[in-house]
Amino acid sequence: MPDTVIEIVDLNKTYASGHTALRNLTLEVRQGEVFGFLGHNGAGKTTTIHILTTLMAPSSGMAKICGHSVEEAPNEVRRHIGYVPENVRLYDTMTARANLRFFGRLSGVENLERRIDETLEFLESQHLADRLVGSFSKGLRQRIGLAQAILHRPAVLFLDEPTSGLDPLGIKTLRDLIVRLNTEFGTTIFMNTHLISEIAKTCHTIGVLNQGRLVFNDTITAVSERYGDDAALEELYLSITPVARKDEAA
Amino acid sequence: MADHTNPILVIAEKEIGDTWRDRFVLIVTLFLVTAAMTALVVGAIALKTDVTTYNAARAALLALGKSAAVIAKPEFYPLKLLRGFVEHVEIIGAVIGILIGYRAAANERGRQTLALIMTRPVGRIQFLLGKIAGALALIFIGLTGTFLLAGASVSLLGGVVLSLNDVLRLIIVDLLATAYALIFFLIGFMAALWAKKLPNALLVAFTVWLTVVLIAPQIGDTMDPDNQVAGGVFAQLHVTKAQEHAILASFSTYETLRNGIEIISPTKHFERLTFAILGIKNIYTGKALSPILIEKTGDIIWLISVIGVLLLVLLSRPLDPNRLSKE
Repeated sequence: MPDTVIEIVDLNKTYASGHTALRNLTLEVRQGEVFGFLGHNGAGKTTTIHILTTLMAPSSGMAKICGHSVEEAPNEVRRHIGYVPENVRLYDTMTARANLRFFGRLSGVENLERRIDETLEFLESQHLADRLVGSFSKGLRQRIGLAQAILHRPAVLFLDEPTSGLDPLGIKTLRDLIVRLNTEFGTTIFMNTHLISEIAKTCHTIGVLNQGRLVFNDTITAVSERYGDDAALEELYLSITPVARKDEAA
Repeated sequence: MADHTNPILVIAEKEIGDTWRDRFVLIVTLFLVTAAMTALVVGAIALKTDVTTYNAARAALLALGKSAAVIAKPEFYPLKLLRGFVEHVEIIGAVIGILIGYRAAANERGRQTLALIMTRPVGRIQFLLGKIAGALALIFIGLTGTFLLAGASVSLLGGVVLSLNDVLRLIIVDLLATAYALIFFLIGFMAALWAKKLPNALLVAFTVWLTVVLIAPQIGDTMDPDNQVAGGVFAQLHVTKAQEHAILASFSTYETLRNGIEIISPTKHFERLTFAILGIKNIYTGKALSPILIEKTGDIIWLISVIGVLLLVLLSRPLDPNRLSKE
């Protein structure tokens, strides 16, 4: 496994509508890191995740996951990643186990039933296995969404606004799971969020995206040493994303 | 459960399970079975009425000391009873195709599941082929069940055992019906996959259904001069086939237009094929299967071409997980 698991060089994305979502994005995420990708709505965070998870092709530039190009070897990339989209709902009319079985088989997981049990146990969700996903709260769905993403033990896990719409308890539970995933499995985590408090509590490194450009990239330790607590981090974030603020005010 | 990990089979298997759980398609299939059985019973009653009328006339002639040979004996071709059944397959089979197709895509919308599937080691084409394979299996199983029931009912109502040749004809028509319903599956699937708003997909699919299943064949039929009088205008006027062709030659532009409207409809090709194979149309009654298939190769090619073109369009267009994230 290369030390750098996510490598992005000069990545650009312009949609057919003419909207440019990413401008010369260059970024590295090292193995075992929890990387927090911060930015306003529309900053380009989800576009970045879509490119890194092979859902979308970049307009130009290069992106590699575990040494495999997202454009040239998408299936190799997919073997190394797990993905939890924002507002994941899964299949309502299937049980949690049936959902996991489906995605596990698509990933080619061996000893699938045992792996499902282990994963649900890790997420403290064994009791959900035989219940219909349609009957779950958002938090429980998110947990099963996370289960499908880690079933094949990916090297890199992508989370798009994982705490969106969750209550405080759901947010804390998910945050604890992310930390455990990282420490117990050594999974590298790339997390999109616009919650600064989440970044401070969960991440090792932080990147701030503003209008498609990476405007800040450093470790949380360095940021804390330089700027102090969460409030200072918030001030830092707001000071480096001025254009977006002006747009929002308008 | 088999632990095969071929993505096409995994997706197809889930598709079948989903449709089974979603009772709506099952209910529509049962509706097809009911309508088909009703048509069969009506056909059988009509046949029995013919036989009763013939027997009464024959008895009356014999009682008068005359020969019964002056009245034609009603011929019984059991597969002819399937006319109403085939017409129901044309209409409801197409609806079933659209519903399965719509469901196959609508099920992925708004729940982010397509994004999850496409981030597994599954190609776009494998995903689409899995959906098609699942639908094909569902349509084939549903139609085969209906055809088995229809075949058994024909035997039961007609009081005859179907010959091997009859069974072979039924199998061919079953396969053609599957291909025909597949066309509508692809229309429903593509509409639901690509429509900006999901309800628009149903509107588009059923507009196509209305046009090609009901309107185009009806316009073609209405414009057919031979359909203006019961039994056929030419037959009623005792016009020979040669004279009929000569008359129609004078209306070649009209006939080309009429035929053109008819042939844009896969329903008409399916009907022409099945009516010929089952001997429902009089000129094919009792005719051997091979010459019919040779004569109808054009209709077979047309049906296959429509499927080919739809598949090509479906497989060549990229999937948009963003589009499918919206209901």
